[in-house]
Amino acid sequence: MGHSPSADTPAVSRRDFLYTAATLGSGLALGLRLNAQQAGAGQRPGAAQPTRPPEAFIRIAPDGTISITTPAVEMGQGGHTSLPMIMMEELGGDWRKLQVADAPADRVYNNPLNNRQTTVGSFAVRGWYNELRRMSAAAREMLVAAAAQNWGVAASECTAANSVITHTPSGRTTSYGSVAAAAALLPVPQQPALKKPEDFKVIGTSPARVDVPNKVDGSAQYGIDKRLPNMLYGAIRLAPAVTGKLKSFDDTAARAIKGFHSTVALDNAVIVLASSWWQAKKALEKVKTEFDPGRLGGVDSAKVSSLLRAGFTEAGTTTLNNGAAERVLAAAGHVIESDYEVPYLAHACMEPMNCTAQVTSEGCEVWCGTQAPQDAQAAAAEASGHPAERVKVHTLYLGGGFGRRGESDYVGQAVRAAKAAGRPVKLLWSREEDMQHDYYRPAAAIRFRASVAADNTVEALECRVVTASEPNFGANRPPSYTGGMSDCRYQFPNFRVTGVNKDVGLRFGFWRSVNLSHNPFMFEGFIDELAVLNKQDPYQFRRSLLQHEQGLRQRAVLDLAAQKAGWGKAPAGRFQGIAVTEGFGSIVASVAEISARGDNIIIHRIVTAIDCGIAVHPANVLAQTEGGTMYALTAMASGEITLNNGAVQQSNFHDYPILIMSQAPVFEGHIVPSKEPPGGVGEPGTGSVMPAVANAIFAATGKRLRSLPLSRHNIELSVARA
Amino acid sequence: MITLTINGKKQQVDVEADTPLLWVLRDNVGLTGTKFGCGMGLCGACTVLLDGEPMRSCALPVSAVGSKAITTIEGLSKDRSHPVQQAWIAENVPQCGYCQSGMILSAVALLKKKPQPTDADIDAGMTNICRCGTYSKVRKAIHRAAGNDKT
Ligand code: FES
Ligand code: FES
Repeated sequence: MGHSPSADTPAVSRRDFLYTAATLGSGLALGLRLNAQQAGAGQRPGAAQPTRPPEAFIRIAPDGTISITTPAVEMGQGGHTSLPMIMMEELGGDWRKLQVADAPADRVYNNPLNNRQTTVGSFAVRGWYNELRRMSAAAREMLVAAAAQNWGVAASECTAANSVITHTPSGRTTSYGSVAAAAALLPVPQQPALKKPEDFKVIGTSPARVDVPNKVDGSAQYGIDKRLPNMLYGAIRLAPAVTGKLKSFDDTAARAIKGFHSTVALDNAVIVLASSWWQAKKALEKVKTEFDPGRLGGVDSAKVSSLLRAGFTEAGTTTLNNGAAERVLAAAGHVIESDYEVPYLAHACMEPMNCTAQVTSEGCEVWCGTQAPQDAQAAAAEASGHPAERVKVHTLYLGGGFGRRGESDYVGQAVRAAKAAGRPVKLLWSREEDMQHDYYRPAAAIRFRASVAADNTVEALECRVVTASEPNFGANRPPSYTGGMSDCRYQFPNFRVTGVNKDVGLRFGFWRSVNLSHNPFMFEGFIDELAVLNKQDPYQFRRSLLQHEQGLRQRAVLDLAAQKAGWGKAPAGRFQGIAVTEGFGSIVASVAEISARGDNIIIHRIVTAIDCGIAVHPANVLAQTEGGTMYALTAMASGEITLNNGAVQQSNFHDYPILIMSQAPVFEGHIVPSKEPPGGVGEPGTGSVMPAVANAIFAATGKRLRSLPLSRHNIELSVARA
Repeated sequence: MITLTINGKKQQVDVEADTPLLWVLRDNVGLTGTKFGCGMGLCGACTVLLDGEPMRSCALPVSAVGSKAITTIEGLSKDRSHPVQQAWIAENVPQCGYCQSGMILSAVALLKKKPQPTDADIDAGMTNICRCGTYSKVRKAIHRAAGNDKT
């Protein structure tokens, strides 16, 4: 900490700025140089933050157009609207003059929170909030200063709003566009005055999302929509087991298919290129292939499950140890023990993986939806043989990301195919390949052990998390997958959390809400067991564990959800379940109200409260929370990726069904008013609904569900709208 | 050569007869608003209208289209003025947006049959998948387009 990034990162020079301005072509841009802030709380210590030339983020043309380059990609989470809102707030720009574009791969767009150019981890708003405000406020002060100089008045006598600068005493006005060129030549204020939250005019409102109009007329361009002259289409068959390798192939029969161009053999796949994707797919079906399954050979889901359970008795790595849980449990007369388990899950983005690539002797260009443009650049560099500086990444809209498009496997494949063909290639995966070659949400299991004191309080709790896929960030880092428990707010006198990694070799990926997609279902389920055991109301029991200073914010969220749901006052025949989670800088609590008819569980409504600090775009906060809830319910109802000889058995939406309209429950979302800095909202909504529903099912039926999906228990979820 | 009527215009395409209409629209005609999600008629991302009826174009060989008029999302209006598009904008429906061409065309077809759809009609008529979970907004937008006061 205390590292000054400006010391070892070069400032952007005037020459660089002029170059940037000249390449814009349309008059002068507002050029500013602002050193990045020192690493603050939550930032990776020691990581050098790049100098951020604000013209890389904001440009104001003479006609007043404000072009904002967003460091966050748009995958439906609203980044193209929320980040510009933060900037327009401090800039005082006219929202109607706003144009938004995706950033190229460049370090200046590295998120201050993780120092990477990634749209992941619900990092966008919370990571960029201060930096974008500071940059935009500096720009506003420069525009005001330029106008004041023009008029020969003091800048302090001028105000700026809606892209207009007013000299208050005289009533004179001028526009941002008219002074942008002069402003660009002024020194950059390094400590611009930021607005107070109570003066916000943009943040906290819900303007129409900037990406909506193009998404209702077919003009929005996703990766899959890119077309280049002379382009070939590629269809791919990957090794059935994701650890597999290609042994041999025979494409003799494929050559007879009309439009066939060539077959490209990769280490782990074959790609057939043809004049249309349909032809490529048909020809691919005629290619004979032999694969070696590699490490996953012989692995099936029963083996995964038994490995997970074997981990219950292994030492593992302890990530939280308050008090002496081990000793207390060993001495306890009665220990309650419960095992929980959840399966692998696929992201199943609506748009299957794809990338369009072109490789020439000069360099390489790729067009795709990606959550990590610099990773895509690196993958393309590696595959093309060109250095990264010669690889241009064009980010298009993502037809869903959810963590899947943080990986760049499909980028490297497209580039290899384009290089082999000497022509542009659009590589598009079939849904089947997409389902079977994901980076999966790991299967995981937890063994809970607890003992209860004579006064009906929990005296010791031990959670042993076992994961079946490699979610460690480097050999010497502590297990990340105990999150949601090792950092939980509940207070127990003796509390221990341990992680055990039983990686079977199925690659793992970040799946919307990461740890919160598995641990809360299990942990909040066991907390419910403890409440029942202690003969306490599940809501009051949780409250009792949150009486300390660090628990108050969670308690307030729990209270709001309970109050809005009418906790304890469900109509006759209906039952409630509650759960709370925290992660990504936000807290979410859900109450599920259900009824049961045999094995049919009817969800009447899901009431959710979120504390995400300042809600930048409240309507979008709720839309994301609702979307996360639906994502979780799909997983809960039927989500399960199973393995047979290392190969994923599910292939399309018939065997990996996604919740549809008639199955989507009534959702009510509530935001806790807050002046705290913003938290993330893309992922947090996914965590609390699964345990809330499971706990409601217990209340209704007495059946404690300790594994998912519900289809495994022959339980069917349906909804009622009244 | 196969002759198709797409968004009111007759067009000739040179493709094999078994090519699904989806790929003809996207790769041959260049109308990329129609999306590919599953290729098995399961998700509805590829929905177009054939003489006003919703059709999953990924599972429809182009040879089966005949003289039926094809409407894609690009042909619904010139300027997003179709009431369903307007309702979609007013309700800020899309998230990633990838499913929404199909959603909108399915809604247009539903409203033609049921100008005042109930929630049950919407459940029955809208079977498209939205992985982002925009269902409640889709529902609201359909009610809005129908002029129901439920919005
Ligand atoms: S792509 Fe046609 S229904 Fe899914
Ligand atoms: S808006 Fe993303 S799939 Fe529907």
